Amino acid sequence: MQLLVLISWPYFRKHILRTLLTVAGIVLGVAVFVGMHTANQSVLFAFNRTVDRIAGKTELQVTAGETGFDEEVLERVQSAESVRVAVPMIEAVVDSQIPGEGSLLILGVDMTGDRSLREYDLESGDEAVIDDPLVFLAQPDSIILTSEFAGKNHFTVNSQVPLGTAFGVRRFTVRGIMKSSGLSSAFGGNLAIMDIYAAQKMFGRGRTFDRIDIAVTPGRTIAEAREELRALLGPGFQVDPPSGRGQQFEAMTAAYSMMVSISSLFALFIGMFIIYNAFAIAVTQRRAEIGILRALGATRGQIRRLFLVESAVTGLVGSIGGLAFGLIIARGIAASIGDLINDVYGVAQRADEIATSPMLLGLALVIGIITSIVAAFIPARQAARVDPVQALQKGKYQVLSAGENRVRAALAGIFAVVSVACLMASSSRVVFYIGFALAIAVALLLAPLLSLALSRAIRPLLKWLRPVEGALAADSLIQTPRRTSASVAALMLSLAVVVAFGGMAGASYSSIIDWMNTALNPDLFVIPSQDLTIRTLRFPAEMAQELAALPGVGRVQRVRNARIMFRGTPIMVVATEIASLSETVRRPPIEGDADAMYRLTAAGQGVMVSENLAQLQTLKLGETLEIPAPEGVVRLPIVGILVDYSDQQGTVLIDRTVFERYWRDDSVNAFRVYLAAGADVPEVKRRILERYAGERQVFVLTNTELKAYILRITDQWFALTSVQIAVAVLVAILGIVNTLTVSITDRRREIGVLKAVGALGGQIRRTIWMEALSVATLGLVLGFALGAVNLYYILQIVQHDIAGMRLDYIFPVSVTLALIPTMLASSFIAAIWPAESAVRGSLVEALEYE
Amino acid sequence: MIDLDHVTRQFDGKRRVVALDDVSLSIPRGEMVSIIGPSGSGKSTLLNLVGGLDRPTSGQVRVAGQALAGLPDDELTRVRRDSIGFIFQFFNLLPTLSCLENVGLPLHLRGWPRAKVRERATELLELVQLTDRLQHLPEELSGGERQRVAIARALSIYPPILLADEPTGNLDTQTGADILALISDLHARLGSTVVIVTHDMKVAGSCQRTIALRDGRVVEDIRRSRTAPPGKVVGG
Repeated sequence: MQLLVLISWPYFRKHILRTLLTVAGIVLGVAVFVGMHTANQSVLFAFNRTVDRIAGKTELQVTAGETGFDEEVLERVQSAESVRVAVPMIEAVVDSQIPGEGSLLILGVDMTGDRSLREYDLESGDEAVIDDPLVFLAQPDSIILTSEFAGKNHFTVNSQVPLGTAFGVRRFTVRGIMKSSGLSSAFGGNLAIMDIYAAQKMFGRGRTFDRIDIAVTPGRTIAEAREELRALLGPGFQVDPPSGRGQQFEAMTAAYSMMVSISSLFALFIGMFIIYNAFAIAVTQRRAEIGILRALGATRGQIRRLFLVESAVTGLVGSIGGLAFGLIIARGIAASIGDLINDVYGVAQRADEIATSPMLLGLALVIGIITSIVAAFIPARQAARVDPVQALQKGKYQVLSAGENRVRAALAGIFAVVSVACLMASSSRVVFYIGFALAIAVALLLAPLLSLALSRAIRPLLKWLRPVEGALAADSLIQTPRRTSASVAALMLSLAVVVAFGGMAGASYSSIIDWMNTALNPDLFVIPSQDLTIRTLRFPAEMAQELAALPGVGRVQRVRNARIMFRGTPIMVVATEIASLSETVRRPPIEGDADAMYRLTAAGQGVMVSENLAQLQTLKLGETLEIPAPEGVVRLPIVGILVDYSDQQGTVLIDRTVFERYWRDDSVNAFRVYLAAGADVPEVKRRILERYAGERQVFVLTNTELKAYILRITDQWFALTSVQIAVAVLVAILGIVNTLTVSITDRRREIGVLKAVGALGGQIRRTIWMEALSVATLGLVLGFALGAVNLYYILQIVQHDIAGMRLDYIFPVSVTLALIPTMLASSFIAAIWPAESAVRGSLVEALEYE
Repeated sequence: MIDLDHVTRQFDGKRRVVALDDVSLSIPRGEMVSIIGPSGSGKSTLLNLVGGLDRPTSGQVRVAGQALAGLPDDELTRVRRDSIGFIFQFFNLLPTLSCLENVGLPLHLRGWPRAKVRERATELLELVQLTDRLQHLPEELSGGERQRVAIARALSIYPPILLADEPTGNLDTQTGADILALISDLHARLGSTVVIVTHDMKVAGSCQRTIALRDGRVVEDIRRSRTAPPGKVVGG
């Protein structure tokens, strides 16, 4: 500790910029880690809180995925001995029609029974509405608002509230305002209560309920009630405590969470590399000081501990900064994740508060400190090995010895062979990941050698460009391979991740576009909500005939899609008229016979599944799929496997007749409309909108609009890539500023000589700029090379562990082309300050410097 | 050629140090002058001011008729690269550049064409008897050879003024004598104004004029009609 105060503190103070850069590495890593996880947790917390507050005293809930079920199920549930109270519910997320308010969660409840589970604590004077439910029931336009929502929008009792329903915008009358309480704060307060039968009508639900909330008979346990209801209802229903919905939410967004985890780990790893870089440089810089300490009697252990304690302190300070910064950025990320989950998964929720978990913050603090210590371990060991006699031999320590090069090359060779063997010899995921880690290790081991070789290779070019500045810039890199390679390696790693994610995004786009072009070929799509993924509003089946009767309409296909639980995972069932579909869409299957699969599915004798479902649930062609439904288990063979992007967890494509039979639901989520020959798309769109004006809420998307919508959602999903590019740019700037700051200190005398013999300010600047651009160029070359390998591994991970999608290997040329100017510009920006400090440094001091 | 008019240079730190105190002197064109004095007397400060490496706190320095005070950095650099050649005690060669590249450095900085730079650098290395060392790096040369490369670099633009800071201070006696002979010979041949800062009285004695400094002031200014023999002239 004394050494820390005596030796380290003055060093930190003297090199304040470098110290800040080192701390910035950890701040960056910890902030991204904390920000992403806190945001993710906040979204989950908000969802769970909404579920919890809506649940009230509910102990169990009966659901059938999101399809809902027939009203008669309520009687069966109520007949169970272990059920004390069973009340039905409908949930619908609708457009509030108020600018800036977004969506409103409508709970359709049965007022006669619901108050035994939920408190509707109304503001004074309104209680009569609930005291006499018949008043509420007698007026189907009745609605109860929360005091938060009413207050914000200046609604009072008897105000008229416009809401988007299946019949277009309808005005509802406020009959009561709930006091601030648990229930009223669910969904961020954007909540309204409506009679369940009014809700069925308004949201096109027919005679179905979304779920039944249950309180258990006194003396019976929840587990007993659960068993009784499961036996009573069969496998098509889920009987779970309200918290089970949170688990389903987590399962549904697992792919996104995995991406978030990968991104935050990547940020930490990069942070670690910045620390390593900074400490490696510090050790070489302070070699003379270490030599003196050793000569004065400091043991190797003391030197090692000095550096490790320094790194721990740096880690602590950086982690605290990272926590603070992470919590600041978490709010923005949470909003973005909320939007994404809404758009991609169709699950609306509002993360208005940041859920800070002491556990997560503690973990981030520990990870930050450990990362810092681990990063400094090798430099600390090098410091401990400093030979006091050689310590003052300036420059020599920067050179990589031939022996060291041989060891690095040999290790890299061995790791490369083992890595390839891991890939080829075993299908085990653990072995695969070991191979991946070894491939990264090979790149890190080879980075110094390759940096050196590349620096030598570009010297003639730089010298040709600028005889003095170019040659000196290249020489600076060649003379200090340790310093150079640390920055180059950090850059290489971050660019490799960007390339891999860019490649994955590119392949996904390419595959999605291919899917859209073949599967989504109708001229128009008629939908009940602006938001394609919101399925709470539905059309009646008869609308198909009405649409078909309109002039210019050639063919109409009804589509019902709903998320159901399959083997504990939410997947998507898409039910449509397969016979008609087979005449308009001919998609080559990945497995199965194209003709037979459409024929058998249309006849209700088979199902088609998406490739990702087959991959994630290890399903094979010909295997009998068992899908639990409210009316029994659908048992049909898999007759085709094809690429489908309807859902991340997978899709089952069945004929509509099968769905109607097993789910007793003939409602429609969307109509696929093909125009008659010669019909005009805008004209038919206008006719459809006119036909339903004032009668029904109808949105009509043209083929181009639908594709644009899907691509917009895809863009949101891959927005993470932009975060990674931002991190890569920061890494470039931090690493290069660090490298150049040290480079300028090392070359103070050289720069002094240059000035003394006539170099102008511009010429000195160019030398530093060229050095920075060279580091960026080396990082780009190595980053692209490692990125090419990384992309292969990431595609494998996507296929086997995240999305189950087999994506083509397409090197992201556009991403790499965009990265070149981005990184060169970043490195140039990073070089501006160091270059100015080089120009402005005292000439006399520089020439005396040794 | 070089004029100092009431030049003072002080350094403000925890303790104010007056390195040069109201110094006025004039060095005519073609003169070879040595500056002597104990450590801290202001010799190097004087040289730095004349060379435009440093700026006076007060007073005026003129080089080839040009007042240096108030010149922007780049203008000062232009004066330096057009009029002044430097020879340093520790050679200050760039370790990664070959002899040829080191000598050609000032010419490259002036934007000369590559072929012309090479031609001039080769010519100068011939002049200092290092024809066989053109592609060698500084670390492959002896101390005397390095100083000869540094001299060749200083002469690359045939500067009217040559400033040398302890040019023999880091060399053994014989090599030091050889280097001094070389400088004298080049002075005789090229007619440059030469200012040498030195501790060595032998070096000082070989110059036409010796200015002695103490505590930042000129305490003696001796002109000689004949100079002491500088020793064997390299390549002479």
